[in-house]
Amino acid sequence: MQKLFRWASKWWPGLIPLAVMWGFAAWNNTLPVEADLSARSSAALKDTVLDKTRIAVDGRDVGLAADAFSEEGRRDAVMAVEIVPGVRLVDDRTRLVPEAKPFVWNAERDVVRVTLSGSAPLPSMKGRLTEAARKEVGGVEVADQMGLARGAPPRFEAAAMLLLDQIGKLKDGKITISDTKVNLAGMARELGGREAIAAALKNLPEGFSIAANDIKAPPYIFQAYKDPVAATVTLTGYVPDNNVHSALATSASRKFFNEKIVDNLKASIGAPSSFNTVVLAALGALSRLSTGTLVVSDREVKLSGDALYEGAANDIRAGLGKDFPKTWQYKPEITVKPAAGPVDGTVCQQLFSDLLGKGKIRFAAKRADIDPDSAGILDHLIETALRCPTTNIEVAGHTDTDGEDAFNRALSEKRAQAVIDYLVKAGLPANRFTAVGYGSTQPVAGNETDDGKAQNRRIEFLVR
Amino acid sequence: MPYLVSFHLGWLIGSLLLGFAMGWISVVQRGNGTSKVTARWLAALAAALVAASFAHVVPGRFGYWLDLGLIMFACYLVGCTIGAWLRDRVVARSMPAV
Repeated sequence: MQKLFRWASKWWPGLIPLAVMWGFAAWNNTLPVEADLSARSSAALKDTVLDKTRIAVDGRDVGLAADAFSEEGRRDAVMAVEIVPGVRLVDDRTRLVPEAKPFVWNAERDVVRVTLSGSAPLPSMKGRLTEAARKEVGGVEVADQMGLARGAPPRFEAAAMLLLDQIGKLKDGKITISDTKVNLAGMARELGGREAIAAALKNLPEGFSIAANDIKAPPYIFQAYKDPVAATVTLTGYVPDNNVHSALATSASRKFFNEKIVDNLKASIGAPSSFNTVVLAALGALSRLSTGTLVVSDREVKLSGDALYEGAANDIRAGLGKDFPKTWQYKPEITVKPAAGPVDGTVCQQLFSDLLGKGKIRFAAKRADIDPDSAGILDHLIETALRCPTTNIEVAGHTDTDGEDAFNRALSEKRAQAVIDYLVKAGLPANRFTAVGYGSTQPVAGNETDDGKAQNRRIEFLVR
Repeated sequence: MPYLVSFHLGWLIGSLLLGFAMGWISVVQRGNGTSKVTARWLAALAAALVAASFAHVVPGRFGYWLDLGLIMFACYLVGCTIGAWLRDRVVARSMPAV
């Protein structure tokens, strides 16, 4: 031992080169050590959930600044860095993410983008929500303006995901979660969208409730355009279901005797009440116009166009809203088509025959009551009669062979008289018309078939 | 410690060799070494530095340099001891008659 002390007393000169080596070692290794420890610390934090993580290494001391989402997460992060081999000290500058109270999250949609704002509880969830929004709206831009905060209610993600599923059904609008209350406002993209959203909201996770659902449905629109040049009536827009659709189509083909029906209607829920009644009545009014447009938008009816003569215009204006429920509004904008020039009796007869060849004046079965669907053809007949004011006209009624001859003859005469009454009511002088009932004595087709019988049941206008 | 050793292995071996050389020489070197008092002071200084290192009182890069210096110094001392002991064995064997 004594020897060792003796030797050791002579060891000091080596300290000078050692010090030089030490200097070189420190010079060479400081930056690599710091870089290495920084990389190892980052790797150690890979599995922890932190926001705004910054690692600063000074020598072997690691300064860790980060926002953690729970006290436990914060402790775990510091611990993870502390056990990295080579780390001497950890300067803990972590803090908890601020708590949002109330915890508010928004998804807002406008024409060009979907904006997500408010708070999300975790960075990964923020990513998932943005991704879900992107998937839901297809090509529309999704702007992520969400911040991070603690204090989200339980099952927040499930609720937010469900609400994001609804954003695709909106044309524009805003969905907000405030703690556990959900607010929705805006306009649904399609008819039925509002109802679909309301149905989906029933599946909100437990604990969440709807504070307000102000989603509006787009207007329920039905349109009909009568084009006299193309001789078409184009129906567009919505009908409540297929039954109403077929009823409308049948009725339209009876009312528009001269025009082809172009049916572009689609079935959709969301129709206002009394839709069918109103649309049928309004189509009846449209059938009396020479050219015209009918627009039914929610509970508003707009009818514009040209009536065939002044009396019809007044009648349509007065009659349009008669059958409508009180909650409906209507706006007739009826003008009168310029009167066509006068013609002589032969041309008049030709015109009457043409009209009655294309369509028929219909009556209730076995009665002399004129079917309202015949208003269109009657208006045309009146217009024609107005063009040859000097002629006298025999209105002839015919029936098929069903029933007794005497009854048929009486019925045909009553029907002819009903037509004359209609014409007189429209302003034509009564002395120009005589009613004749021929019963089944002048058939134009065989009475063996239903089709033939239908042809035989008719009213004819004969210029005398 | 294992991290420091593995990261600076080259330098530590260097220190060890330097110590070995110094120890080898010290056995046959003439003249007086450091006085007892000086040696005590040096030992106290070394102890103080070791204590400072373990207490982590020196911050940042200086702390790292201190640790590095001490570990190199330790290697140096180990080298010295081995060197001196081996030289002593060699000297003792070559001069058995004295």
